[in-house]
Amino acid sequence: MELANTLSQDGESRGGVLAHLERLETQVSRSRKKMEEPQSAQAEESALGTRIHELRRLRDKLRAEVKQHQASVKASTTNVEPDQTLEITEQESLKRKWENVKAILQAYRFTGISGKLTSRGVCVCISTAFEGNLLDSYFVDLVMRKPLQIHHHSIPVFIPLEEISAKYLQTNIQHFLFTLCEYLNAYSGRKYQADRLQSDFEAFLAGPLQRNSLCNLLSFTYKAEPEGQSFPFCARLLYKDLTTTLPTDVTVTYQGTDALSTTQEEQRAAHENLFFTKPLHQVFTSFARKGDKLDMSLVS
Amino acid sequence: MDETVSEFFRRTILKIPLTEMMTILKTWNFLSENQLQTVNFRQRKESLVQDLVLLCEENRASLNDAALLDIIYTQFHRHQKVWDVFQMSKGPGEDTDLFDMEQFKSSFKKILKRALKNVTVSFRDAEENAVWIRIAWGTQYRKPNQYKPAYVVYYSQTPYAFTSSSQLKSNLPLLGQALTIASKHHQIVKMDLRSRYLDSLKAIVFKQYNQIFETHNSTTPLQERSLGLDINMDSRIIHENKTEKERVQRVTQEIFGDYPQPRLEFAQYKLETKFKSDLNGGILAEREEPLRCLVKFSSPHLLEALKSLAPAGIADAPLSPLLTCIPNKGMNYFKIRDK
Repeated sequence: MELANTLSQDGESRGGVLAHLERLETQVSRSRKKMEEPQSAQAEESALGTRIHELRRLRDKLRAEVKQHQASVKASTTNVEPDQTLEITEQESLKRKWENVKAILQAYRFTGISGKLTSRGVCVCISTAFEGNLLDSYFVDLVMRKPLQIHHHSIPVFIPLEEISAKYLQTNIQHFLFTLCEYLNAYSGRKYQADRLQSDFEAFLAGPLQRNSLCNLLSFTYKAEPEGQSFPFCARLLYKDLTTTLPTDVTVTYQGTDALSTTQEEQRAAHENLFFTKPLHQVFTSFARKGDKLDMSLVS
Repeated sequence: MDETVSEFFRRTILKIPLTEMMTILKTWNFLSENQLQTVNFRQRKESLVQDLVLLCEENRASLNDAALLDIIYTQFHRHQKVWDVFQMSKGPGEDTDLFDMEQFKSSFKKILKRALKNVTVSFRDAEENAVWIRIAWGTQYRKPNQYKPAYVVYYSQTPYAFTSSSQLKSNLPLLGQALTIASKHHQIVKMDLRSRYLDSLKAIVFKQYNQIFETHNSTTPLQERSLGLDINMDSRIIHENKTEKERVQRVTQEIFGDYPQPRLEFAQYKLETKFKSDLNGGILAEREEPLRCLVKFSSPHLLEALKSLAPAGIADAPLSPLLTCIPNKGMNYFKIRDK
């Protein structure tokens, strides 16, 4: 009967009531606090707890990374070669490919006509050959313009370049190059034959070989057997067609005053025929071989 | 041996410098090895010459042998003569040129001998396809003057002939005629090209002066061209006008190429033009007649000198086409008139 006690004493009871209310208020706030405290504590706790979890996680992650790094360092020191060799082989294979292509481009000259692009146009290379022997190369540097122009060239002056270009350069470049190729190959071939005769078969010639720039008129005196009793013949070979390596006209004559015997006449005619059908140096090779055969017969 | 021939021998051998004596005599191949060995080449030149002349007499040397020696001397000293260039032309649609050297020689000689009784013609083959012709001119009443011969160098199956400027200009038409007919051409024209350097003239007319071609086989790439600016110089040095210098180098290289230029000693321009002036009036501007003047560029090596003008900063690049067209047109004598 606390209430009664407070009520009996009015003065005291009012103070008592107010005080009581105060006491109740503080009680409530205290109990609230007490109630909140575990909550906040709990919240704090849980917050801390999560933080701990996070930190632990981070720690584990870093630990794992360190371990990995250490492992990879170890691995890289032992596995250095495989990575680099991969790069080197790539480089090597590229270089090999490039050199292969370059070699193919260089080998194109064996086809007879090859070319290289220049800043102005194209530089065409005509490589001549005769009987499987690679002979001189000639160049024509073309400027790609309308009209097509020849900038400079190494074609000999006695080859009719102006004529050929007047006919074909503007209209049919392929024909121009093929015609030029024909003329140059034929010239190279004739020159080769004349050079071979002069150098390899000097012993068969009674005098110097007469020739001209185009090697299309050859005149010489020869003996079919250099030391033998055969008669000296004079041969005159004309190559009227500048695109061929075999003569168009052959005259073999005997310079002596006596008339020829039948065998000699046969020989003369046979030689004429030989010069018509075989390249010059081959004719003399066959003379040489016949000479060898004769020697063999003498020996045996 | 005739006294005149003997004297001709003496004077010809005397011309030969002692250092070349053996080489030239061996090329001549008239005196044998044994004979040459009997001669003392260390004595005074006059005595040496005397001994050699005696040997020639022993061998019964003829005028032709002496002329041959003269040709050989001239071949060794071709720069001592000034050479002109003649161009021949054929009619259209001619047959293939079947040039016979022997026929050419006999035809040439015949034509000259028919016109002039007194003339000495000698030939010497050179290289594979060329002939050197020596002509000593006489008149109807006088024997040929062996000391003022003319020389002609002809490459078979080409339209060009090179002649040493003969002092006897009156015989030039005859020479031209003989050349034309003997080589089976129709016309002959003197080119406006002259130089001491026969090989350069040949390079110009045969278009052999630029023999640099780009191929896949070339080991030195054409891109590696020193631009004249030393890239290895100290990096603290900055080139002013670097772009301009590079432009000049590029333009010069386009015009003159990378090849060695043929050698000429001069270029001559005869101007017959009216006076052109920006200023109003003036006595010269009113003149109706064209002014005549001669501009001559001389150099030990004209084309190389022209090539170096722009890079040296002396002239603007590109140079005037009048200067750069010289090898292309095959001219170093120009006549410039108003159009």
